[in-house]
Amino acid sequence: MRNDQFLGEYLRMQGVSRRGFLKFCSATASLMALPPSAVGQVAEALATARRPSVIWLSFQECTGCTESLTRSHAPTVESLIFDAISLDYHHTLQAASGYGAEEARMAAMEENAGKYLLVVDGSIPLGNPGFSTIAGISNLDMLKETAENAFAIIAVGTCAAFGGLPRANPNPTGAVSVSDIITDKPIINVSGCPPIPVVITGVLAHFLTFGTIPELDALGRPAAFFGQNIHDRCYRRPFYERGQFAETFDDEGARKGWCLYKLGCKGPTTYNACATLKWNGGTSFPIQSGHGCLGCSEPNFWDKGGFYDPLSAGMWGSRDALLGAAAAGAALGVGSALAARSRKKKAQAAEEV
Amino acid sequence: MNTEAMSLQDFRDMLQQMSSDVAGRDLTDEDRVRRAKKAFAQKLNGHRAVDMDTCLQCGMCAEACPFYEATQDERYAPVYKFRPLRRFYRREMSPMRWFYRPFTRDITVADLKEWQHLVYDACTGCGRCDMICPMGIKISAAIRVMRHGLAGAGFVPSEMRIIRDEQRDKNTLFGVGPEQLKALVQKLGTQGINVPLDREQADVMLLTTAIEILLFPDAFAANAKILNKAGADWTIRSDAFEAANVGIITGDDPTMDLAVKRIVDKANACGVKTLLTPESGHAYQMLRWEGANEMGEPLSFDVLSMPEFIAAEIKAGRLNLTPQSNGASVTYHDPCRLARKGGVMQQPRDVLAAMGLDVRETPANRRENYCCGGGCGEFVLKSAAELRQKAFEIKKNEIDETGADAVVTGCANCRVNLMIGAENSGWDTPVTSLVETVAANLAD
Amino acid sequence: MTLLEFASGPGLQWALWIFVFGITWRVVGAVFLLARKDLSKPRHRNTVRAGLGAVLSRSTPAHAFEKKIRFQHFTGYAWHFALFISVLFFAPHILFFKSVLGFSWPHLPNTIIMVTAIIATAVLIALLVRRATHPVQRFISNADDYISIFVVLVPLVTGILAFAHFGARYETLLAIHLLSVEAMMIWFPFGKLMHTIMTMPARFQAGTAFGRRGVKA
Repeated sequence: MRNDQFLGEYLRMQGVSRRGFLKFCSATASLMALPPSAVGQVAEALATARRPSVIWLSFQECTGCTESLTRSHAPTVESLIFDAISLDYHHTLQAASGYGAEEARMAAMEENAGKYLLVVDGSIPLGNPGFSTIAGISNLDMLKETAENAFAIIAVGTCAAFGGLPRANPNPTGAVSVSDIITDKPIINVSGCPPIPVVITGVLAHFLTFGTIPELDALGRPAAFFGQNIHDRCYRRPFYERGQFAETFDDEGARKGWCLYKLGCKGPTTYNACATLKWNGGTSFPIQSGHGCLGCSEPNFWDKGGFYDPLSAGMWGSRDALLGAAAAGAALGVGSALAARSRKKKAQAAEEV
Repeated sequence: MNTEAMSLQDFRDMLQQMSSDVAGRDLTDEDRVRRAKKAFAQKLNGHRAVDMDTCLQCGMCAEACPFYEATQDERYAPVYKFRPLRRFYRREMSPMRWFYRPFTRDITVADLKEWQHLVYDACTGCGRCDMICPMGIKISAAIRVMRHGLAGAGFVPSEMRIIRDEQRDKNTLFGVGPEQLKALVQKLGTQGINVPLDREQADVMLLTTAIEILLFPDAFAANAKILNKAGADWTIRSDAFEAANVGIITGDDPTMDLAVKRIVDKANACGVKTLLTPESGHAYQMLRWEGANEMGEPLSFDVLSMPEFIAAEIKAGRLNLTPQSNGASVTYHDPCRLARKGGVMQQPRDVLAAMGLDVRETPANRRENYCCGGGCGEFVLKSAAELRQKAFEIKKNEIDETGADAVVTGCANCRVNLMIGAENSGWDTPVTSLVETVAANLAD
Repeated sequence: MTLLEFASGPGLQWALWIFVFGITWRVVGAVFLLARKDLSKPRHRNTVRAGLGAVLSRSTPAHAFEKKIRFQHFTGYAWHFALFISVLFFAPHILFFKSVLGFSWPHLPNTIIMVTAIIATAVLIALLVRRATHPVQRFISNADDYISIFVVLVPLVTGILAFAHFGARYETLLAIHLLSVEAMMIWFPFGKLMHTIMTMPARFQAGTAFGRRGVKA
């Protein structure tokens, strides 16, 4: 599709009926928690939108975010979005390779200067630029170069948003997030490991509809999808309240679908849409499948205690240190008592009349 | 020599004449504080430390103290009575003294002066507070350490100081010494009551007190009759008969040790197997429970109070009591230091019951018993007279509630205080002595 | 590091360390002052039994005192029971204790915990009011007494708020709750809260001291 073509026109050419298009618009509207009356506005906006240029940079990543986004078996919301944007650079999805691919990126940057969206997945290693390069260019340099004229940046996945797995203790590559490097551009953190596909597309849909960045939370995540924690929307919450927990993965509680708090579920402190939107087209999500939430949309989730340690067990350190504390206390106690006793002896020895 | 019993009025006059103004030793304020701290340091040990570190400041102890109950004056809360000691402990001997020091006021001579009233006038060391404390703190022991500190600082009240000096220096009390005892023994001899005085060796050694000799010679005579009836091999020494200990009353350790030593040394010298304490609460406490610690070694003889001795003799068949047939009712006043602090509670009741008396219990009895109000030598303090009377009223009401014909007690100090209280308030319930009752009912 | 990460990480580590260190120091330092052996002849050989008996019996007042201390007696128990149930039988708390002690115990449903926590808070406030108004308690109380109440009241209140997700973001509420518990743990060895530990030895020694004289402590 040509970049100057209207999206509505393009979709019609693709054989998408008006009805199908409106269905897409109402799904998109409800995704963004807009009222039904906004559907018309969404339709109008999308019909007359121009396909924006999107450059997708993949750094220290596992490609899981792309995999999540592209897992679709039939025409879905996700694929429609891909049709709605002009994905001008993406390692996994693009047909071009080598110098051709890099030239396409530079051309897109020049032609759409100030208007293109930069999507990043994967963290950026600062320890040694050689840890991750593309076409001989370090991730750091490529990010800076590409971000300079971007309209906004979407950091897809926890790696790009917060550093993710590479950043976990001891962070051997010196991995950092996009927002650690770029400070002068609007950044939308779409965290998750990977993010829910429809969350990514929802952000894009918002951008397409309103041309602006959606409302973000304190960590730069779209509030519409990351505004509530898993615990509050989890269908197993009544079991938590009643104190019915699975103690192991195969006990009666587990088989009855009881709360997984004791098995390390990080739901109470994790903000994401998993409990409502779920995965694989609304099939299930980790807790429903019997495994506790890992907290994968939160910063440092790899270092926040073990995945199977309950939230309240804390990350306070070793019990041995406490034994040491007891020994130190006893020693000080004995010392202070001995000093007091010696004073007592002195007082008893000198008996004045 | 006058061997007639002194009248209560004469005794009260004698007490009245004791000066409350005798100047203590001349000490600077710094000296007083230093000496108080030294005395505190001498007495603080693991038990007191644990106690003071456990106090919740719940104030329940006040609810047990007869002086608080009678006045509702919060200064008489037992926990407050040892407050300066706690401050000293926290600042200077507690394990965390380095933390407490900046936040805890040092004790001052003004504190010590202020606490003289709380510790000597408003406390008899009755130990009722020990019984109520949910933490099990021995509050009376801490107050006793306060006494010790005040004594070291030269703040023993005048009247107590007078008798302390007398006991320490002259070995007499209220002017009662060997001569007075000998005179009484002689007089009893003429009445057919044999008192084997000053034997060199004996199985049993009896003690007496100045108050007994002065006011209650019949109690002394009763002891003699009981011992003779039981066929005991006994004596009483004119050079070591005084069971009262003004050292514990004032908190003066040297005098306390001295008074105990005089008795124990003599008992050892006479090969005594059983030491008998007369009707006196604190004498029993001093000899039975603290004597060995004063001497630094276990005693080589047993210490018994008269009720214990009488009960044992009855059990062994050496004494028989005639049951009374008039069904008189009595209530027994437990002397604090004999009962709650001494463990002698059942024997007096058994002995009274063996005489066919209807023994009625005051609502608070045995270990929860109310203090007579004048124990621990408090009856000598003019400054304590009002408080004593108020505390006595509580006891009086309890006795009245039993409807008993008389109140029997096993301590001469309690007896005097009950009698004085009765006189002051026009109370006509007779106050009697256990041993005198027993002596009057000895079967042939 | 976020506030919650600090509160559940280094903050907790330090607080636990000071807690254990301080308690041991204070208990050992007091007990180790020791006392001379009592040389008098005891009425009963086995004073340990008397000691343990006192640990139990001092939980209820002697007959003569019942009426006088009824209010304190009942509110004291209500307070302690409500507190212990809220602290010791809430599932997330038990998991924390397990991480410290190595063992755990059964839990109660959250709704019961919520009720006991509210009761505990209400009773504690009532006791605080009593302390500030009753003539004896007001007279004898000092900073230690009030601080000790405060450092226990704040965890209760913040715990209830965190549980109810009321007042701020959940992570913030949880972090404040943890920090307030840490403040309590740091204060614990230095103030009156030590009575939790000291009650046992104090009652025990009363039991043995009176027991050897034949008096039930």
